[in-house]
Amino acid sequence: MADLGRAALVVAFGLIVYAALTGGYAAFRGRRRLLESATNALFASLGAVAVAALVLLAALVRDDFSFVYVADHTSRELPLRYAVSAFWGGQEGSLLLWLLVLTGMGSAAVALNRKLTRDVLPWTVPILGGIASFFAFMLVFVASPFATASAPADGVGLNPSLQNPYMMAHPPLLYLGYVGLTIPFAFAMAALASRRTDERWIVVTRRWTLASWAFLGFAILLGAKWAYEEVGWGGWYAWDPVENAALMPWLVATAFLHSVMVQEKKNMLRVWNVILVAGAFALSLFGTFLTRSGVINSIHSFTQSSIGAWFLGFIAVVIAASITLILVRLPLLRSPTRLESLVSREAAFLYNNLFLVALALTVLWGVVYPLVSEAVRGFAVTVGAPYFDFFAIAFGLPLVLLMGVGPLVAWRRASLRALGTSLLWPTGVALVTGAVFLAAGAGSSPAGLVGYTFASFVLAAIVLEFARGTRARRSLGDDGWLGSFAGLVGRNRRRYGGYVVHAAIVILLIGAIGIGGFGTTREPRRALAPGATMRIGAYDLTYLGSVQRRSANALEMRARFDVARDGKPLGVLSAGKNRYFAEQQTSNEVAIRSDWLRGEDLFVIVGKFNNDGSIFLKVLINPLVNLIWLAGLVFVGGSLIAMWPDAREQRRLARRFAYAPA
Amino acid sequence: MAAALAVFLLYTSLAGGSTPSLRPSQLAAHSGTVSLAGVVLSPLRGDAHEGGLRFRLRDINGTGSVPVVYTGSVPDLFAVGRDVSVRGKLQDGLFVAERDSLVTKCPSKYAPDSKSKQT
Repeated sequence: MADLGRAALVVAFGLIVYAALTGGYAAFRGRRRLLESATNALFASLGAVAVAALVLLAALVRDDFSFVYVADHTSRELPLRYAVSAFWGGQEGSLLLWLLVLTGMGSAAVALNRKLTRDVLPWTVPILGGIASFFAFMLVFVASPFATASAPADGVGLNPSLQNPYMMAHPPLLYLGYVGLTIPFAFAMAALASRRTDERWIVVTRRWTLASWAFLGFAILLGAKWAYEEVGWGGWYAWDPVENAALMPWLVATAFLHSVMVQEKKNMLRVWNVILVAGAFALSLFGTFLTRSGVINSIHSFTQSSIGAWFLGFIAVVIAASITLILVRLPLLRSPTRLESLVSREAAFLYNNLFLVALALTVLWGVVYPLVSEAVRGFAVTVGAPYFDFFAIAFGLPLVLLMGVGPLVAWRRASLRALGTSLLWPTGVALVTGAVFLAAGAGSSPAGLVGYTFASFVLAAIVLEFARGTRARRSLGDDGWLGSFAGLVGRNRRRYGGYVVHAAIVILLIGAIGIGGFGTTREPRRALAPGATMRIGAYDLTYLGSVQRRSANALEMRARFDVARDGKPLGVLSAGKNRYFAEQQTSNEVAIRSDWLRGEDLFVIVGKFNNDGSIFLKVLINPLVNLIWLAGLVFVGGSLIAMWPDAREQRRLARRFAYAPA
Repeated sequence: MAAALAVFLLYTSLAGGSTPSLRPSQLAAHSGTVSLAGVVLSPLRGDAHEGGLRFRLRDINGTGSVPVVYTGSVPDLFAVGRDVSVRGKLQDGLFVAERDSLVTKCPSKYAPDSKSKQT
């Protein structure tokens, strides 16, 4: 079986390299037939990679421990669903998943734009092939998932904290996002190489960018949900390098999604857009590198990772090649139009881009600072949450404000008076909200108060936009309010989908401020004996005692609590730890009680079980944290609206870019 | 953009948001609060919740080591042989860690690193 997997990877490597080299030659010389052959090789490589993936999947499911990878990441007792998720539980499997998604998405994007990639952007296939070559090379020569050894009696098992439903979905979605960013990058670079620097590459890849960005965003939130429930320190985002790894490309992709609208509408920012798409792709590679190599924890772990240096080299090549290509084609990218006014939609997009990119850069700086300082000063200096929090607020609040103002500003040149009139309502709502919150005692967190005021401003602006649009449509036709509303969104999916995403970001902000600014934590220094009661906020937790239970692969220790709020009993909660046998690790199993009506979570962590039956306890009240998860769903909904195929738009674009064979 | 870059460079170098991250062998040259990273050596003595957990931390690639006393919650992955980091100060040859500052390093969140496999 392992031989079949190895052979499939070698075949895939051959096909991909053929697609890259032959395709490159064909694009250079304008040989159409040869390019067709390279394209077919790219398609065929998907089949070969799929075979390799199936072999690995089968080995994982069958507990075939003669595969080193299987022995290292599963065990006999591991439930089947987690044996499947072990596919992306380790380095080699993750690389294989990267290649599978890359060849799959690449083939689909090329197949859907066959004429374009043949006649107008012939460099697309060789560039996709070039990127895939790196991953295929790694899988064949450096980190093979098909290494074999004499089978041990049982496997090492999967890291217990990964034995969680969210961890089954989070990594594949993250990879869909990371890898998906390859598509706009490849088309953009192909447009440069093929001297077709109009916005066709943007139009063709818009949905790919949007989908990858949505996957990435949703995956980040799934990861946060996992961290909240499984890592169990009571928070949801900790500026960990691995979390930042996904955030950075998402921020840059967000900037890109906005700035392409300026190029489509005004033919501006053409250089900026190719820089952004290259940056987003490089950061997605860097993100994979960070998660896989662990280089950030210490410069010393760098040498321990077999793929770190290769990855870094590849990122350097990608950046160098992108910069070279952009510089060479700079004359073609000059924008024919200029910014007319600093108060205009274009300018609003520009400010949004500056803040988003600045935020991404500060996060990047925070992530690499330990390495830089270790190289310069001899010891690493790490920046902590205060650094990230400071910049998230400093750049985040203006971004929130722009979300409210931007959509109301006219293109080209906006009159300040008209803008003032349209901002009247949102500003009023914001001021009233701020005053109400201040009166309610929200002044305990000034940043939180400002955040809520801004949030209500943006929400009011969004509601106003929907209301205005619906009213305008209703006055045109004789549909009812509901029909006008549906028609408004249906005919302007991109715009109103975007507003829904904006609303999601605001909901996320409200939740994040709630847990960050207005939460309560109690961690008694003395152990709690059975029968004793602990009070936090309006809650009383009475410790009933501990129980132990053996599950398939772990010993589960649970402390049970009687919970009451304001004296009213709410039932029993149990929190504790699992000790996993094969993995020889312990994991925290926190108890979370969500109160949807009050919008708060009671979060119970057992620090330690003592021999005398007492326990050490940490309890938190997390207000509004569930809005963060709700924001994830709204985010997906808005992205889907913006992505949904629109026949009218397709016809309009087809007229605009009637394909002319080169 | 350049201004933004300058602001945050200044912020990181001046504000207290950053902590030197050291190996046990580098500790002697620094006073003040640092973050110390190393490998946990046996034996583990005491209790992190009562009186303090005592252990030694050794350079990850080296031989220098320092005794540590720690109070607070102990992460799931803490064990002899694991890479961890704590924040604290060196006081008379003993590294006194701040409460709840112990973090286990998982070089890759997704894979047990080669070192933890050997233990």
